[in-house]
Amino acid sequence: MIEFYPQIKLVHIVSILASGVLFLIRAIAVQRRWPWAMAAPVRYLSYSIDTVLLTSALMLMSVLQQYPFVHSWLTVKILLVIVYIVLGSFALKRGPTPAIRLACSIAAVLVYGVIITIARAHDPAGALRWVMLE
Amino acid sequence: MNTTRKLWIGLAGLLATSFGVLLWMGAKIDEQAPPVPERVVTPRGEVLYERADIERGRQVWQSMGGMQLGSIWGHGGYVAPDWSADWLHREALTLLHAWAVREYGDSGYDALPEERKAGLRERLKVHLRRNTYDAANGTITVDADRAAAIAAVAAHYDRLFGNDPEMADLRADYAMKDNTVPEAAHRRALAAFFWWTAWAATTERPGARVTYTNNWPSEPLVGNHPTGGTYLWSVFSVLFLIAGIALLGWHHAVSHGREDVPARLPETDPLAMVRVTPSMRATAKYFWLLLALFLVQILLGAITAHFAVEGQELYGVPIAEVLPYSLTRTWHTQLAVLWIATAWLGTGLYIGPAVSGHEPKYQRLGVNVLWVCLIVIVVGAFAGQWLAVMQRLGLERNFWFGHQGWEYADIGRFWQWFLFIGLMLWLVLVGRALWPAIRRGGDGKSIVGLLFLSAVAIGLFYGAALLWNEHTSLSMVEYWRWWLVHLFDEGFFEVFATAVIAFLFTRLGLLAERSATVAVLFATIVFMAGGVLGTLHHLYFAGTPTPVLAVGASFSALEVVPLAYIGYEAYHTYKLGRSTAWMARYHWPLMFFIAVAFWNLVGAGLFGFLINPPLSLYFMQGLNLTPLHGHTALFGVYGMLGIGLMLFCLRGLKPGVVWNTRLLKGVFWALNIGLALMALLTLLPMGTLQVLASIEHGYWYARSAEFMHQPLMEMLVWLRVPGDTIFSIGALLLAWFVAGLWMRPGGEAALPVGSRPTAQEP
Repeated sequence: MIEFYPQIKLVHIVSILASGVLFLIRAIAVQRRWPWAMAAPVRYLSYSIDTVLLTSALMLMSVLQQYPFVHSWLTVKILLVIVYIVLGSFALKRGPTPAIRLACSIAAVLVYGVIITIARAHDPAGALRWVMLE
Repeated sequence: MNTTRKLWIGLAGLLATSFGVLLWMGAKIDEQAPPVPERVVTPRGEVLYERADIERGRQVWQSMGGMQLGSIWGHGGYVAPDWSADWLHREALTLLHAWAVREYGDSGYDALPEERKAGLRERLKVHLRRNTYDAANGTITVDADRAAAIAAVAAHYDRLFGNDPEMADLRADYAMKDNTVPEAAHRRALAAFFWWTAWAATTERPGARVTYTNNWPSEPLVGNHPTGGTYLWSVFSVLFLIAGIALLGWHHAVSHGREDVPARLPETDPLAMVRVTPSMRATAKYFWLLLALFLVQILLGAITAHFAVEGQELYGVPIAEVLPYSLTRTWHTQLAVLWIATAWLGTGLYIGPAVSGHEPKYQRLGVNVLWVCLIVIVVGAFAGQWLAVMQRLGLERNFWFGHQGWEYADIGRFWQWFLFIGLMLWLVLVGRALWPAIRRGGDGKSIVGLLFLSAVAIGLFYGAALLWNEHTSLSMVEYWRWWLVHLFDEGFFEVFATAVIAFLFTRLGLLAERSATVAVLFATIVFMAGGVLGTLHHLYFAGTPTPVLAVGASFSALEVVPLAYIGYEAYHTYKLGRSTAWMARYHWPLMFFIAVAFWNLVGAGLFGFLINPPLSLYFMQGLNLTPLHGHTALFGVYGMLGIGLMLFCLRGLKPGVVWNTRLLKGVFWALNIGLALMALLTLLPMGTLQVLASIEHGYWYARSAEFMHQPLMEMLVWLRVPGDTIFSIGALLLAWFVAGLWMRPGGEAALPVGSRPTAQEP
């Protein structure tokens, strides 16, 4: 399976970007009260991207033998993904007021960014590590 | 004589004839089963194995999970090799190499020019195919070369099933735990059993040119190729299928539109008027149990699938030490049958008093006792299997309380008896509740009677699991096991499914009882015409004589005939679902019944027939095309039916609660899409690649670690994740939906009986 590592990693990165971009677009659409933000095709597109993302993540874990609760950067990343999902849910659907939905959207985007930096650095501190090193 | 009476007589005649032939075939199989020798000796009188070694080896194999870890004669799991084919190939190579070294020098067989290799291969064919079994004294004689080859292969298995660090990678590739068989004496016996199965697969029957297993497995080195009969009966089976489709098409053309339609459809839901008795209310816990078993089954399925890539670990956790592959697969396959059976048991117990309006004395107590028994059986049988696979139970207790190793009939004999008695209790409970309705007579008598008879058949045919014992010949165990799996699961479950769906429509007042009875009886005759003798298609290569192959191929092709017209049934169900406004209450149960029809065509019909003709199965048996059929037919048909029936009963159990149909829609599509993705992204492509390997290089190669752990094959295993994830979400949503009926029943307004559906309803 290690033979397919570059391809799996590429799929993982592309699906992460697609997931993030789609979330951002939907969050903006929700703020602007565009009805298609929660339309079925958009939701199913989001589910499909996230399923591919999950599959490639599990494959990478197995191929590289790096696991959450064993490798700290992955542990932090997984926990932040859960935070991101909850914030995303409030940003798009469960937030009772537009202001709360906006706040959750901004927080979700920030968390998303932190996750990316942790993944890039393979370090639980993520971007903080770069700052500290400098 | 009216049509119903004629059909009853026709059905009785058909069943008597079919079972007569099936039993006669059983006698032939018993008579011509591959012999287990008293001893295996060399010409100098050295004893390699005795009968006791081979029999004990079989016990060891059963205790470690038997068919759940690798397979024998193609029956069993898919990650570890088929031990018969693997042994055969290793023994053949060892002999070729030994001869090459002796006659042409140290470089061995691989270094020889092709002409010399061909010469050695011809010698090997003669050598291994010759039958040296002497029936007079029960002795098989092998020469010194073969004895040395047997010892070499036995040493390989000794290291593999033990704890040899050099074999760790191969064990992981085969999803075997370290020290699968800790005792050296047991490993030696295990090798004796594997050798015997390989001997039967390569030794020609006395006076014939085919081996005891009809030349299975495909192994070019020893001249194992499909027999003339395998080709011939494959072609004839297709012929019979086309003829059957034409005949049934003619029948549909003639009888189309003749069914009686009720003069006036009910204005309100008749089932909503049914008084829910205490025993009916008590069936709710069957459906909770069903969901728990279903969720655990999915989890075990995910772990089992994961073992195909990580062998002994689950994302780094060394899970095989406590929950090895053979155990997760055992529980996964058993729970499939158990939760589906629970759905049907619960449905039967719910429907009985609903039909007759009669609540027999102590019925609720009976329902509760049976439920407790079910839990005791599941927990007790599974605990025994864990102890067996971990090799802590001892061979003496294994047959009764541990792991029998026969796929779908794995639980210990004690638990099988317990389950059989439980099924009898179920029959009594359902029977005495239905009895007043049967006694009332009228048009409804026949359909209620048919429903009850299919329930009787389900109960009694489980008894087939009790007909073999610890030392019954392997071929005969297979014969009775397929009575259980094919006749019980694939035969009478099918009749029960048809009867129960038609029956529910009659109770809803949408079908006239007389025409429903005729339709169900006719369908039963069509199913059973192919279904009973079709049992033999599982036994083409199980040490059975050629007539088994001929009869099995011919009749099992007929099983597909009614499935070709299943679209009629699906459309009929769809139409009935839209015939009155209040039927919207049953929209989602009916959608699951339509899914049953769809998967009956795809999973049972198409993917079933794909592996059905003898020539197909010769190369495909035990490859991933088998679970392709298994998953899409077992879950697709019976699982969907179980969920549909459960929803039907829940409608009655919770009549005032408005359903969250959005959630059910999600359940329906997630389960169907998940199943389709599992089939199309993983099982079908993996199986197809394996078939090509099996045809081109021999069966052993298609099952080897070398082939199964190529990057492409592992990638295909990983592609199960999307489908399995979606499927699991569907199952979780279903559990959430059912829990909501009890936890949040008052959250929404009750639906007035007979009113038009609310906006939330479809």
